[in-house]
Amino acid sequence: MAADSRRSSRAVIAGLAFSLALAVVAGVMFGAVRVPFGDVLGALGRALTGTATGVGDAVIVDLRLPRVLLAALVGASLATAGVLYQALFRNALADPYILGVSSGAGLGATIMLVAGGSSLLGRVVGVPLGAFAGALLTITVVVRLASRTGRLEATSLLLAGVAVSYTLSAVTSFLMVVARESMQAVVFWMMGGLTGASWPYVWLLTGLLLVGLAVPMAFSRHLDLMLLGDERAGQLGLNVERFKIFALGCASLVVAGAVSVSGLIGFVGLMTPHMVRLVLGPDHRALLPASAIAGALVLVLSDLIARIVLAPVEIPVGIVTALAGGPFFVWLLVRKERVR
Amino acid sequence: MSAGDVLVAFEDASVGYGSRAVVEHVSFSVRAGEFVGLVGPNAAGKSTLLRALTGSASVLAGSVSLGGSPLARLTPKERALLVGVVPQTPTAAFAFSARAFVEMGRNPHLGTMQSVSAEDRAVVEDVMRLTDTERLAAETIDTLSGGDLQRLTVAQALAQQPQVLLLDEATAHLDLNHALQVLDLVRRLADEGLAVLGVFHDLDLAARYSDRIAVVAAGRVREPVEPERALDAAVVSDVFDVRAVVRTDPVSGTVSVTPIVRGADVARTTRGPVGVVCGSGSGARVLRRLAQAGVGTSCGALSEGDIDQAVAVALGADLVTLPPFGEIDADAEERVRSAYSTTRACVVCDTPFGRANVANLRAAVRAGVPLVLVGEMTPERDYSGGEATALWAEAVCAGAERVSDEGAAIAALLGMLDGEGHDG
Repeated sequence: MAADSRRSSRAVIAGLAFSLALAVVAGVMFGAVRVPFGDVLGALGRALTGTATGVGDAVIVDLRLPRVLLAALVGASLATAGVLYQALFRNALADPYILGVSSGAGLGATIMLVAGGSSLLGRVVGVPLGAFAGALLTITVVVRLASRTGRLEATSLLLAGVAVSYTLSAVTSFLMVVARESMQAVVFWMMGGLTGASWPYVWLLTGLLLVGLAVPMAFSRHLDLMLLGDERAGQLGLNVERFKIFALGCASLVVAGAVSVSGLIGFVGLMTPHMVRLVLGPDHRALLPASAIAGALVLVLSDLIARIVLAPVEIPVGIVTALAGGPFFVWLLVRKERVR
Repeated sequence: MSAGDVLVAFEDASVGYGSRAVVEHVSFSVRAGEFVGLVGPNAAGKSTLLRALTGSASVLAGSVSLGGSPLARLTPKERALLVGVVPQTPTAAFAFSARAFVEMGRNPHLGTMQSVSAEDRAVVEDVMRLTDTERLAAETIDTLSGGDLQRLTVAQALAQQPQVLLLDEATAHLDLNHALQVLDLVRRLADEGLAVLGVFHDLDLAARYSDRIAVVAAGRVREPVEPERALDAAVVSDVFDVRAVVRTDPVSGTVSVTPIVRGADVARTTRGPVGVVCGSGSGARVLRRLAQAGVGTSCGALSEGDIDQAVAVALGADLVTLPPFGEIDADAEERVRSAYSTTRACVVCDTPFGRANVANLRAAVRAGVPLVLVGEMTPERDYSGGEATALWAEAVCAGAERVSDEGAAIAALLGMLDGEGHDG
């Protein structure tokens, strides 16, 4: 039985990975200009062998490919964070966007953008650092607010998240108005801008995701235990407080990476782990990698839709995810009511 | 670990939450191979004592040690290798398979990135067989009944292979059969060397399975003693405010507590007294009802071991207590007659009369107070060689009121008392 379920998990993960590969290729092919499949492969081949030539190759290798890869990395990051938050708070409605962590990371990033200007070093190191600090601070404040009564209620957690999220977004907007000269850069980024994609971001996010996904995967058994509740997890030998800080740190890391690259993109972190859990069950050894891949798939497809719906005009990818995610959230709420 | 080692020790410990102590000056210990029960009213701090042992409540003063080490010096993992817990209400919000759920009990035995070995799986199989949960292995836990989940939680705790097992009303969600199954299992493991500390609400179960019982009440824990000493009628009345009959259950051979009435429902005695001729349980209902109505009672002479005697004692009725199967001698009979003569009325319950107790009937008839007779005096009820029948006839001739059952007897008695009240 255990072996069977492990085999079926592997099959699901392999299927997701294959779909992601197809989606990445499609993401590179379609856009303002359609690139035939053969040209995509050709350009990639030439880029790998260092013989890239002409504008056509440049469009593929320097514009389309990093953008699609970035979408995949951001989606994977958000979904990973969603899995971590949902386990730590035993709350299927938790995700970085709803908990206000994205807004916190956004404010941190904005402060760094406004203060540090738009040098490459500032964008690739300063902004993510600011986002990380913002994410950590926010989740600390939200958890404190929600557990004032000594118990962490699911509803108060979401309410605290939403309240903090609004406040921080307001501060971000205020900063944008005050610092007019950097306003354009901030707005551009805030809208869910995968448009600024370039290779340094791809490497940055790859690094953050490797840490933020691989480390929790090593502790997947501990995440399983957290689903039994803090007290029970402690009774079964888990150092709950220490593990929470550690896992929240990992989640903040990947959220910071995603937000500093693409602004606020909602619902990917909520929807994806939930869907994957319905198929694979709650075992984190399968859930974490499968959700990361599924998150990547969701965002690559969303970005593709964002680019072609009103082509040649692009709509921010956050709009696409919110359009799908909003109704999904309502469905989750209704379903929860019915279960009760 | 050799049998008899002290595995859990509270030494003048105060435990609670934050800075607020729930239970203070706790001193007792549990040895390997011993099953200690904790009983007491709600919110007395029984669970807090257990939670202190797993770090969920704080030790505010004194010391608590597990397996010989001070609690504070154990990491959560070291602690989980020593102590397994079966909590009150298990949670199953997520769809783990039952086997995966039990396997989580192996956590303290595994390194961070180590996955379960064949040996771990064997332990899981073993505890699932012991708890009769093998057939559930492939089910997902969020679809199981509370009882199944509770037994899986027992399995999970046993999978830790602990030296100490803490039960927090572990059988509250189980039907009688499964409750006995789980407790029989735990009892057997205790006999094999496990130290068990269990919180119980069911006093009979506590008495049946515990070697010693500690009563937790009013922020204190009494020294654990054998069930028959820990749970007597006075303790049950003091601690739970319930008037109860506590006797040895003839089937289990252990202490059994039968509640009669809540202390709060016993009215202050304002009327009466009323004499009650009873025995073998024939008077229990009348005594209970009169106590609730605030009517004092006088029960004649009753033997120790008789149900009505235990009820009368629990309710604070006046009586002459005889040794088990004792006969009423002339001296006792005179005391009974004099007690009955001070009552407003006497009720003769539907009890058979033999040589041992006919003196109570004689005392009542000769006491010179109004009588209420329940039922008929038939040959099946008279083992006194005709004396009871003669006394009965004498009472009837003297104008005794005759009723068919206890309910009517109570109504008649209350009517008499009320009537007197109006006259006076």
